[in-house]
Amino acid sequence: MRSVSGTRRLLRWIGNGLLVVLLVWTLVPFYWMVATSLKKDKEIYGFEATLVPRQPTLANYTRLFAATPFTKYVRNSTIIACSTTILSLVFGCLGAYALARLRFPGRNLIARGLVFTYLVPPALLFIPLFTVISTLRLVDTHQGLILTYLSFSVPFCTWLLMGYFRSVPLELEEAALVDGCTRLGSLVRVILPMSLPALAVVAFFSFTQSWNEFLYANVFVNSVEVRTITTGLTLFVVEDVFFWGPMMGASFLSALPPLVLYLIFQRWVVKGLTLGAVKG
Amino acid sequence: MAGMTRRQVLKSAGVAAAVTTSPWWRVGKSAAQRAKKLVFWHLPNFTPLADELQKQQVYEFAKQAGLKEADVEYAVVAGEQAQQKLAAAIEAGNPPDVMRLYESNVQFYASGGHLLDVNDLVDKMRREPKGIFESALSSVIYKGRAMGVPLAVNPWPVHARLDLLEQAKVEYPKTWDEFIETSKKIQSPPRLFAFGMCLGLVEDTTDNVMNLLWCYGGKMVEADNKTVVMNSPENAAGVKVIEAMFKTHKIIPPGAISWDNSGNNKAYQSKQAAFVMNPTSIYAYLDGNDKDLQKVTGLMPVPAGPKGAINQIDTWAYGAFKKAPYPELAKGLLEYFMQPAHYDKIIQSTGGRWVPVYKRLFDSPFWKEKPAFKHFIKMAETGVPVSYAGSPTPAAGEVLNTHLIPKMIQRVLVDNWEAARALDECHKRIVEVYARYARG
Repeated sequence: MRSVSGTRRLLRWIGNGLLVVLLVWTLVPFYWMVATSLKKDKEIYGFEATLVPRQPTLANYTRLFAATPFTKYVRNSTIIACSTTILSLVFGCLGAYALARLRFPGRNLIARGLVFTYLVPPALLFIPLFTVISTLRLVDTHQGLILTYLSFSVPFCTWLLMGYFRSVPLELEEAALVDGCTRLGSLVRVILPMSLPALAVVAFFSFTQSWNEFLYANVFVNSVEVRTITTGLTLFVVEDVFFWGPMMGASFLSALPPLVLYLIFQRWVVKGLTLGAVKG
Repeated sequence: MAGMTRRQVLKSAGVAAAVTTSPWWRVGKSAAQRAKKLVFWHLPNFTPLADELQKQQVYEFAKQAGLKEADVEYAVVAGEQAQQKLAAAIEAGNPPDVMRLYESNVQFYASGGHLLDVNDLVDKMRREPKGIFESALSSVIYKGRAMGVPLAVNPWPVHARLDLLEQAKVEYPKTWDEFIETSKKIQSPPRLFAFGMCLGLVEDTTDNVMNLLWCYGGKMVEADNKTVVMNSPENAAGVKVIEAMFKTHKIIPPGAISWDNSGNNKAYQSKQAAFVMNPTSIYAYLDGNDKDLQKVTGLMPVPAGPKGAINQIDTWAYGAFKKAPYPELAKGLLEYFMQPAHYDKIIQSTGGRWVPVYKRLFDSPFWKEKPAFKHFIKMAETGVPVSYAGSPTPAAGEVLNTHLIPKMIQRVLVDNWEAARALDECHKRIVEVYARYARG
């Protein structure tokens, strides 16, 4: 008995050790970003790397808000990410419900096609998609980017929700239908309330993917009025000179919304991800 | 996914591929749909003033051309990401009217038939009093025609810490041998290395290495743009000097072999290197961020080797795109930009970052009064592109972008290969690149 508990204790120590390593691995870049944003240029470029800013300054943040259109980038990213998230949820739910519950020709093909579509890399798609957006005259518009982001978020959301919806007992829905509920009503009143963890994952995924997306935003957007944070960050590199202070400040601020969102929905996200792992 | 047959997988993949690539069929149809407007893609300058002036000029021209403000699309495009954006826009048939291009990109897009011929405009510039620096033309002339308008000469001086030279009571070195001796006197590693030579797998390494090799009689390709001469004894002599600087004299920081293009900038800006060969982006940065260091920074010519001192220049140019539906607007804007009075304002506002292509603009006090600029005229007159003795052709651009020369120098410095062996390998690879472009 003693040796078993000893082994368990050892395993726990190893597990905790690994967690500490992972924690450091995750937090150090974040800390470095914050610390750099609070340093003056001379300290950033100094011979000795300092862990804690010697003379902390908010000058980089002042510059960020006073001399760059950073607030516009935040506004644009918010509009695009929130719109993509809402639309992904709507289309994802409807699509997933149809694929999970209805019987129609090509259902399996569409379901599998979703995965294949999702797997096509953006580097292969940005030119054809630009042509589509250009033909629709949506270049340099919020709508153009939202439409593009839906092309990768809807397939994933549909696929994930499809697996989850299948796990909801059919009897519950049938009972609702017998009681006079419509298909849409049973989706909204029965299935969705039982699928909140999956919806949280889907929303979180859509939001972070759209918030962090770079390639399409870079190619499809020209003006400051529509530019998102990710592409705005690149303007802190002029030729071969990096303006590290404001760039790190902007990076830190842009990392906050997904982080806050995750902290708020953490319980559901973890539950949704683990449940999704065994369904499908 | 489990339980799918091979046929089902293929069918699904086929449908997905067809759906995702179908927009290609629409390629080329979107240009004609664009309403009449002026589209200018702007790569940021070092100074906000230069950016502002450039924007003003675009709008002033548009007004003269009868366009409203809403008919102008002025987009600020980050330099590093500009090529992806441009590639997509060209494929979709919807490129900007005008954009600033780096030298080998002018040749690249000209060879693809994407650029408007602007020979008449460049001829007009050449007829200005005193003319223009002909060295700036090598990058924009394609098959005998000017396909871009040279915006500025971009010299690569040695940024030198004059205060350290003064402290050590030594002059700025005239030869590479003197350079090594001087370096040993002024450096105090590991805090301060003398020579911040870029040696990572990046473009700046090609520039730095080739610049030194030229002084020893080396070059990459002959002026015919066909005969590759990378495995010459002259190049071997130059490579051995770099090897000695790195391994024997230890005047180059060991970390330089992993630097990116900003590595030498950072080393100089943080006072960890006394000399760096770089465009004046460093000088321009110091102007806004470290005036004290700027005051003690000299922009010096490259030291001489047995075959003399050869300075590198590169050229930025404006390109006007053929697929843009309103070529008269594009060419009109270029002409407006290049009117000496307009042009001079922009150039001076960059604080020395850009050197004017018009020779007579050097008569202004701006260029005469600052000692740092005193070598610029000679550099602009005699400077050569990185592809010297050849032109900045698309093949030369590929050699630069695929880092064949940085790989060669790393063979010597990291893998301890003999210079001749590393050059031989590099030579073969460059021959392949040039042969591919010769075949078309």
